[in-house]
Amino acid sequence: MTTIAATSAPARPRKLVGAGRRQWIGLLYVAPAVALVVVFFIIPLGMTAWMSLHNWPLMGEHSYIGLDNYWAILHDTRFWNALRFTGLYTVVVTIAIFAVAFPLALFIERPRRLTGFYRTSFFMPAVIGFASASLLWSWLLNVDSGLFSPAAFDLGLTGKKFNLLATFQPAFWSIIAMVVWKVAGFTMIILMTGLQSIPTDLQEAAMIDGAGPFARFRAITLPLMRRTLALALILSVAGSILAFDQFYIILRGGPRNQTLTAVYWIFNQSFVSFKLGYGAALSMILLAILVALSTFQLWLLRKPEGVD
Amino acid sequence: MKTRIAGLAFAASIFAMPAMAADTANIWVRADGSNFMPRIVDAFNKAHENQIKLDIIPNAEIIPKYGAAAAGGTAPDALSLDLIYTPAFSAAGQLEDITDWAKSLPYFASLSPAHVKTGTYKGRIYGLPFSADSSVLIWNKKLFKQAGLDPEKGPANWAEIEADAEKVNALGGDIKGFYFSGNCGGCNIFTFTPLIWASGGDILAEDGAKATLDSPQLRGAIDLYRSMVKKDLVPAGAQTDTGSNFFAAFAAGNIGISPSGAFAIGALNTQYPDVDYGVTFLPGKDGGWSSFAGGDNFVVTKGTTKLAVVKEFLDFAYSLEGQTILAKYGSLPVRGDIAKEALKDLDPRYQIAAEAMAKGRTPYSVVFNDLINSANGPWTQMVNEVFFGDDVDGAIANAQETMQSIIDQAPQK
Repeated sequence: MTTIAATSAPARPRKLVGAGRRQWIGLLYVAPAVALVVVFFIIPLGMTAWMSLHNWPLMGEHSYIGLDNYWAILHDTRFWNALRFTGLYTVVVTIAIFAVAFPLALFIERPRRLTGFYRTSFFMPAVIGFASASLLWSWLLNVDSGLFSPAAFDLGLTGKKFNLLATFQPAFWSIIAMVVWKVAGFTMIILMTGLQSIPTDLQEAAMIDGAGPFARFRAITLPLMRRTLALALILSVAGSILAFDQFYIILRGGPRNQTLTAVYWIFNQSFVSFKLGYGAALSMILLAILVALSTFQLWLLRKPEGVD
Repeated sequence: MKTRIAGLAFAASIFAMPAMAADTANIWVRADGSNFMPRIVDAFNKAHENQIKLDIIPNAEIIPKYGAAAAGGTAPDALSLDLIYTPAFSAAGQLEDITDWAKSLPYFASLSPAHVKTGTYKGRIYGLPFSADSSVLIWNKKLFKQAGLDPEKGPANWAEIEADAEKVNALGGDIKGFYFSGNCGGCNIFTFTPLIWASGGDILAEDGAKATLDSPQLRGAIDLYRSMVKKDLVPAGAQTDTGSNFFAAFAAGNIGISPSGAFAIGALNTQYPDVDYGVTFLPGKDGGWSSFAGGDNFVVTKGTTKLAVVKEFLDFAYSLEGQTILAKYGSLPVRGDIAKEALKDLDPRYQIAAEAMAKGRTPYSVVFNDLINSANGPWTQMVNEVFFGDDVDGAIANAQETMQSIIDQAPQK
């Protein structure tokens, strides 16, 4: 949308005749996009903000209570705990995704034998929905009828079947493994396009100057991929902060409520405790956090490029 | 969040199509009733001029869906609602007051007391019994025989439960002595609290205004489960079972004893005819018994214009014909005075469940979902911690405190 606005804007000062009409046509062109954004984003957002100022039960009358919901959030320790866990999860899973996706991207970037095959297989899990992937893994991780625990037991690796989902650490890392399996392929493709957009002559020039592979990666590849990295990072962080499906389907927030994420808590408040108004207020807080984080990441990764 | 609500409202509006004629009422039921509800609606529609249009909604979605539909003015005329939600729905002012009509029914006094109690809010009646399910203990006769136990005699106290489970467990292989869903609040309020009740304790007092978890009876029942877990009589998966295996574990035929519900009788008979099982009461520590009286209350949406049709339908459901249809397809009768007659041609094991239902108990709370059923609520967290964790006292104290604070923060209307 911004690009359309930007291209139609310069026409105005140069040619005044018909400028009004031109503007109307411009508006007409962007109207469908504007309508979509208004109907599916602006209006719901406004309603969420409006609801957050009310005591709004799922059933029955709602009443205006001003900022009371927001004051209540300040004392809602379980929400802040959920947010802290979401933060931990986001950091760990983002590092894990990049740690897997970057080598994969380097591996499949240049054409070689079977590249197409590798690209497809690495990317394949990305086309599965999070809910279906979670259902699949909740079976794989099942201690009695799944794959991992019975396999380890049958191979003699463990003395008795080990319930992966019963305690925090194995449960948490199982989820990380599942998310990396599911998302790394997508991040890999993004990183691959970044890698391919780096001109080969730059690498060759560096090579002639005597730079080793590690120096080339640090001094050429990484800086030139700044934009791509920013995109991949923002997608990964935003996706992780909104994590819900895998924790709901595989763990139900367990073991012992240690894996409740922020969105999970919002869902619980809205549809288990029937407090829609409070859920809306929590959503607004989460939105603010997400916007702030994304802005920060953009600023962090874009600024040096402006200097270039 | 908002888009989700809009989506639900949209889905609900498809279900709740405007009535074709003035005399068609729309009724919702949760998926648990998908066996008997269509049968009774069919029977009613065949015999009456007024018609019922039935929609079956997934268990987990019926509450939010109904709430969204009510907000959008597209709620069904009536609803067969899990009885434990009736207080919350009544408190929200969503239901029609049917006190006068209910009390005019000649058989009002013999309607399931547990249902009527949860259907009453501040002295007015908002819900009447529709379907019923009571918790019972079931055992596998074949495994009992193999283990050298009397296959016709189920355990009658806690010591017998553990001893029998141990004997069955000793058969080895995939066979385990006992099963329960260790991470499921709803399953355990249904099957674990009767052990406490039968021993003289309770978890909620004063109509749900006080949480009373710190009792020797609760502690004793916990010790029974812990001991069985420690002796490895329970499959490892129980620790993380959120209820999906509640019935399936026993139905597979490798479990000696499992607390379950009346629904299991119908489900085992029709889906697993090979499993030879017995039904008995959930016992107290030294004998005696209790049961959770569950099921659905029939509630009417406030302001519906189809009240006459809805009443006609409920009248039919309460007739001997209606009660027999319900019993045949998986619900216990809710009219005590004709229960025996409605069950007379059915599996005799239903009689035990019907007796359990008649004397069963139901906790009363306007925040039942928050306290008990929520997968992240204090009850669910506590049962998992006390059955499998290390700090039983801490877990109980923590749950007691959280439950009381949820009760205290509940809207007082």
